[in-house]
Amino acid sequence: MAPPLIALIVATIAISLYNPSFLSAANLGRVASISAIPVLLAVGATFVIIMGSIDLSVQGVIALSAAITAMVLRVDDGALGSVLALGAAVVTGIATGAVSGLLHTLLRIPSFMVTLGMWFVSAGLATLLLGGGTIAVRSADLRVLILQRVFGLPLSVWLVLAIVAFAALMQARSRFGRYVVAIGGNEEIAKLSGLPIRRTRAAVFAIAGGFYGLAAALSVAQLGQGNVDIGDGRLFTTITAVVLGGTSLTGGRGGVLNSVLGVLLVTVLGNGMILMGVPPYLQQAVLGVLIILAVASSTARIREGVYK
Amino acid sequence: MTATFPSRGQVLSAAPTVFLILLTAIIVLASPGFFSGSTILVILADSVVLFTLAAGLSFVILLGSIDLSVPAVASLGGVIVAMLIPSIGLAAYPAAILAGAGAGLFSGLVHVLLRVPSFIATLATGGIVSGMALWLSSSRTVTIAGEYRHVLDPVIGDSFGIPRIILIGAVVCLIGVYIQRYTKFGRAIRAIGAGESAVRASGIHVGRQKLIAFTIAGAFAACGGALLAARMTSGNPAGAEQLLLPAIAAVLVGGTAITGGTGGVGRTVVGTLIVIVMRIGMTFMGVDVFAQQILFGSVLICAIALTLDRDLLQIVK
Amino acid sequence: MSLKLENVTKTYGPVTALANATIEVHPGEVVGLVGENGAGKSTLMRILAGVVQPSSGAFTIDGEPVRFSGTLDANAAGIGMVYQEQSLILPLSIAENMYLGQERRFTKYGLIDHAAMREAARRNLEKVQLDIDPVRPASELTFAERQMVELAKALTLEERDVERLVILLDEPTSVLEQAEIDVLFARIRALKDRASFIFVSHRLDEVLEISDRIYTMKDGEVVDERPAAGARESDLHEVMVGRVLEHNFYLEDEQEPPQDSVALELRGLGSGRAYRNINLTLHAGEVLGIAGVIGSGREALARAVFGMERPESGEIVIHGKVEGIPDPSVAVRKGLGFVPSERGIEGMVPMLPVSENISLANLDSITGPFGLDRRRETALAREWIERLRIKTPGPAAPIRSLSGGNQQKAVIAKWLNADSRILVLDHPTRGVDVGAKHEVFSLIRELCREGYAILLLADTLAETIGLSHRVLVMRDGEITADIPAPAGDKPSQTRIVEHMV
Repeated sequence: MAPPLIALIVATIAISLYNPSFLSAANLGRVASISAIPVLLAVGATFVIIMGSIDLSVQGVIALSAAITAMVLRVDDGALGSVLALGAAVVTGIATGAVSGLLHTLLRIPSFMVTLGMWFVSAGLATLLLGGGTIAVRSADLRVLILQRVFGLPLSVWLVLAIVAFAALMQARSRFGRYVVAIGGNEEIAKLSGLPIRRTRAAVFAIAGGFYGLAAALSVAQLGQGNVDIGDGRLFTTITAVVLGGTSLTGGRGGVLNSVLGVLLVTVLGNGMILMGVPPYLQQAVLGVLIILAVASSTARIREGVYK
Repeated sequence: MTATFPSRGQVLSAAPTVFLILLTAIIVLASPGFFSGSTILVILADSVVLFTLAAGLSFVILLGSIDLSVPAVASLGGVIVAMLIPSIGLAAYPAAILAGAGAGLFSGLVHVLLRVPSFIATLATGGIVSGMALWLSSSRTVTIAGEYRHVLDPVIGDSFGIPRIILIGAVVCLIGVYIQRYTKFGRAIRAIGAGESAVRASGIHVGRQKLIAFTIAGAFAACGGALLAARMTSGNPAGAEQLLLPAIAAVLVGGTAITGGTGGVGRTVVGTLIVIVMRIGMTFMGVDVFAQQILFGSVLICAIALTLDRDLLQIVK
Repeated sequence: MSLKLENVTKTYGPVTALANATIEVHPGEVVGLVGENGAGKSTLMRILAGVVQPSSGAFTIDGEPVRFSGTLDANAAGIGMVYQEQSLILPLSIAENMYLGQERRFTKYGLIDHAAMREAARRNLEKVQLDIDPVRPASELTFAERQMVELAKALTLEERDVERLVILLDEPTSVLEQAEIDVLFARIRALKDRASFIFVSHRLDEVLEISDRIYTMKDGEVVDERPAAGARESDLHEVMVGRVLEHNFYLEDEQEPPQDSVALELRGLGSGRAYRNINLTLHAGEVLGIAGVIGSGREALARAVFGMERPESGEIVIHGKVEGIPDPSVAVRKGLGFVPSERGIEGMVPMLPVSENISLANLDSITGPFGLDRRRETALAREWIERLRIKTPGPAAPIRSLSGGNQQKAVIAKWLNADSRILVLDHPTRGVDVGAKHEVFSLIRELCREGYAILLLADTLAETIGLSHRVLVMRDGEITADIPAPAGDKPSQTRIVEHMV
């Protein structure tokens, strides 16, 4: 975990030297708030990537879960409706992820193709459900997550922190968590040792979907509306964050906390670039360069073998 | 060992054509007015942009790799054409294609030299390229003013009663098929997709061939984006975003396997027609526009499941 | 626990990997298992470990018949295997590796109790006297330490409900230094009251040192059993290789003396520990055989000549000119050809037609004024099919539909078509049936007469001697002997083996 942490510290120092207001409580709170949703996405994707697979369906799952959330709230935007909407978002995400996972394991299709297909299937479903439009969400009860502050930070940040702690514990201490690392480390040996490969693989995609679903509900709460474009650009930043955090695309290495660092790094850089007056569209280009450097440095050691 | 010859290959090459014919037949039966001469021309004209993207992508998929930067590169191509036409006229088209080739070469270099898997290399390149497109266009759609419309004429006009874009599509097709079937490079990339180690051990410089494939994919993508911009009389920095899935679907539905090694540009012609006929047919029959994307995603997964050569994958990640 | 295989046979399609093998392992015994490559040792071990299931025959433990459907069953019966290739999952900790798949024993409230697992792991590491913190990731260990951890992992089986263990050691010394081997042997001796061992190694001196009893395998059969006490290396050599061949099996009568001109010369070629200071000269019209066991470095050397791997030092001289061969594309341009041992992966592109495989190394040969000329390609393929008598339904048949021998002939045709005059043949008769072998031999003789120079790594010693004009012997990365093998005066196998092990 050292290199991303060092990068984060260096970036923080550099930016605050350029603009001291970066380290103000208000700005740091902003960084935390901005990071909440990306952290959920990155943590979900981390499990998939540690396994050596990839999940490209992030944006589609967000769109679909957001559509479902908004539709539930349209029926009832009270407290009960808000809770149901949160649950429905998570369940939608899990279901979509489970479909990806099952297609991947049962039909033996590489994960990146399955999830690419699922991206468009779920985005299409979302478009269909929303009729191509936007559903405004005025539920005060749901928006409490964003608007209510506890110890200076929105409720959503605390919720995400709790989930990260749970995910980190699951990864370090549960059999499932260790099996994911084992499969990513060496699937042949894991199989010889009798680990449930298919079940674990499918479950990982379902769990990742659950994370995306929750992220979608928070996005709806944040924006006050549900639409198909609500997840636009999230795939790129998610994978960038996971990779920058030090989780290797070849599997087996990295972890939930790495990805939290990765997200903070991306957010801090983004926030810093805004403070430094870099146009927003160049930020994507900068992230593109960063992702290449991060992946290249992790694959530089592997000189032999076919890669596609 | 002998059982596989020749069934699988023949089935794979015949199936898409049969499917296209069946699809057309169903649509014709459902709405007999569908196939007039003019609808055929409309279908062909609408296919050209998608086909150009898919044809370039075919080279990369034949390798067994993937190029996710296609929509970004196409959008960049559109923006460049729209911005340069006022100053350099027709030369804007080759300029756009050259820029696309550059973007493709960049993806290729990242993939080959830095050993970054192609989907991530092209995802990153896509990010960089769309950043460039947004920067060049200041995040706005660049409209081609009326006084320069004559420069668009070679693309959007008619010759002999046929939309000229169809003729352009035919030329693109000929070039693509020639490169893929009649050059050493074309042979090499198909062989690389089928068995990279053996190709390397036969003295072919695998890395160089991969670089060329990504460069071609970039050039074709930008060309498609330029054609799109001409048809829309504007270059939108995000204009081709929606074309990634149909382009991949066109390649795979045509019978080029996602694992590489089988297929080709010729099959992508059939694949593109399937995608377009499906789309137009659905619209014609009143299927919800939004349902189409679901169908594409599903068709994509089916096509992969059917064409995938699982012998090539020891562990499916 | 005593373990017995009786008349066990394992076939893969038409290939018999193990034929009527019978072996027994008694409690507290170290059983050595020796034989040439492909003699069936690995198959035997994999059956014992539950990785593969025998096609026929009886497998009993203490007289009870057993049938394993996987390694887990074998583990449950007290049989553990220490693999030759490392089988630890590097990102996981040592303890996690030792109890992979057994975490349930340490799970409380759904969470793994890492402290308890660590303690259990430590107890087992103590049995092999390895003082290492089990929470460290396996990636931090040296090869020797990993080997010990694997041994300790096998010993964790004692914690199960089994009386005694049988531990299978597949080439455990191949990655170890002498001092490390001594430690390993000391551990094995100390553990004999807990477990029996089956020890497989190419190094006969080691087998003699550690074993109580030795089985020798040959061509899939167990051909010899003897106590280690009093046995000599030369005795084992003889049973390992001893076979009377029909006269002229390798067409020695057609062997003609090589030409004077030197085709290929290696000067001081070296690469790390794989091979060191290799000097050799290969003449036109000569077959130069390189003999050596796995780990002798001959495979790496052959690959380096063709640019598949890069040597760290030394020069490659082709037709009198020093050439850098950074990769195979340069090698081909300089007139080299390579028939690799992994034919299905490196030798040919299985799904492509025979014709496209033949033209692959020289696409210029089928290039016409308008690019690739398929008609020319087919005609060319037909020519080679006829000339090398390749049996195929036609040039358009996928090469994978051909028999092994015909595939190999097509691979050779590829190099003849590329006009490669120096051929590196790495196990050219692997997976080739006897009749087709004869044709490959005949082809090699014919090529020699035409002045081709051939560097040969053969499947068996008999083949090396029979085909070669000269045999270089390699051991531990160095050339230990250069033995002439002219027609009519072939050296004996034992003479070569002396320098191999």
